[in-house]
Formats: sequence, structure tokens, C-alpha cells
Amino acid sequence: MTHSVRRLTRCAVLTALALAISVCEGLVPLSVLIPLPGLRLGLANLVTVYALCRLSGRDALGILVSRCLLGAVVGGNLTALAFSLSGGLLALGTMWLLLRVPGLSLFGVCIAGAAAHNTGQILAAMGVLASPAIAIYLAPLLAASVLTGAVTGAASILLVRRVPFDEGKP
Amino acid sequence: MRSSAADRTRPTPLDGLVVLAVLAAAAAIFYFFRPVSGNFLTARIVLDNELVAELPLSDLTEPVTLEVPGVRYPITVEGENGRVRVLHSDCPSQDCVHTGWVSRSGGQIVCLPNRLVITVTGGAAEADAVTG
Repeated sequence: MTHSVRRLTRCAVLTALALAISVCEGLVPLSVLIPLPGLRLGLANLVTVYALCRLSGRDALGILVSRCLLGAVVGGNLTALAFSLSGGLLALGTMWLLLRVPGLSLFGVCIAGAAAHNTGQILAAMGVLASPAIAIYLAPLLAASVLTGAVTGAASILLVRRVPFDEGKP
Repeated sequence: MRSSAADRTRPTPLDGLVVLAVLAAAAAIFYFFRPVSGNFLTARIVLDNELVAELPLSDLTEPVTLEVPGVRYPITVEGENGRVRVLHSDCPSQDCVHTGWVSRSGGQIVCLPNRLVITVTGGAAEADAVTG
């Protein structure tokens, strides 16, 4: 009972945090600096990485889906839901797998996550716009994801180390 | 603790491999989807298997529109430097209009109700004059 309440509140707090981060990030779009459609730092991914490392895959999935749904409600944009969900789910799956690979650090995990996120978004765009030629946008986005992924990777290393959840205590 | 990755503070050689893989994927996508850099792009407008018009897209300096003659549903093709689209069509499906601009060699716009196909060809030096 206490355990499930703790788990629920953790996930709720992290969902609120992820939502706030992605809204804030939307206010200061990175595409002002680099004109590339779909480019963003992906700071909300930090929450996913944190949940994957410190909670569980199930919790991370719940947080991600809640964040995307709430984000679509807040932003009032249903097409954006398809983009954020496809990108987020692909990133989550990729990072979940890579966290099981020995010898990787969170840098590599986050870079792969950022690349997967961009790939998912472009796949959604290809579906929505029914035009495979959009894939050309993926090339610069993938190259940029090495940088954005390294930034979020460095941030997630600090976050995961400094904020441990006390798993043992009830 | 679920993963050893969470304990590391420095990049590992395997991270470099991830970076290389991502960059290789970017390069591969760029290579496969790059616009064919033909200096002589031509839009061939074919109606019922007959060539009715050719637009030398690369030679256009300003947009031109063309009403395709002899079609069932009136259709207007717009060409400008390096690209072509169906500006307007009275056909029921509107797929040709939704295709939008085509600017790559090998690209196609199809208007099935009109049995009209616009093909962009290029690369070779076939910069002929406009035919109407």
C-alpha cells in the first residue's frame, strides 16, 4: 500500500516535471539558433533517462505517455501528440535496450535516445504527410542529435548520481 | 541499481561507436535521399501515354503556369526554377494537388482521373525548348 502510493507520487512528480520541462523548452526553441525543423534539446528526455535508471521501465513508460497526453491537452495540438509519442516511445525503447548493454555510459545512451527520438518524429511526419521525401530532414537532425544527446547525457549523469531514490526505505 | 551505465561519469569507447553509428546513419540517409543535382531538370507531362508538354524546370527564371489541353478535369501545372507542382485540378481525388512540389529527378505527380503523369527527369543535358 505505502509502496504503491510512493510509486504513484514519484511518477506523478516526474510527469509534472517532464511536462514543465517540455513546455519551457517550447518557449525557447533551439531552432532560432539553428534553423532545422523539429530540432530541440530534448531536456524532457532527462526524466525518461532518470526513470529508466532509478525506477523501472514500466514507470518510465507511464511517465512518458502521461507527459505526451497532457502535453497535447495543454498545447491543444493533437497532431503534435503523434509526433511526441512516436519519438518518445522509440527513444524510450532504444534507451531501455542500450542501458542493458555493458560498457556504455549515459552519453551513448542519451545520444542514441536523441537519434531515436528524431527518427520517430520523422517517421510520424512521413506518415502524416504521406511523403517519404521528408526523410531527407532526418540526416541533419541525426547529426545534431549527437550534440543534443551529449548535452542531455552530461546532464543526466549529474542528475542520476546526485538524486538517488532511497529504494530501501518504505 | 539497474544498469552500470548509470554509474559511469565519463564517455566510454562504446559511446564513440554509438556516435559513429548515428553519424553513419545520417550520412547514409543524406546519400539516399539527396536531391539529384541535375542542372537540367525537365518536367514531362504525359496524358494518356502521349507527351503533351515539357517544362525545362532548370531554365525557368520565374514561375510559369500551364493549362494542360485535352484533359477531362481542367488541371493547371505550375513550374518554377527546379520544381513543378499541380497548382489546381478539378479532379475529385485531388491527390495530384496534394503531392505538392516535386524537385527531384525521378519524382512523379500522378493525376489518375485525368490519366496524367508528370515526371521529372534530369541529369543529362536535355535542356530543350518548351513545347506546347
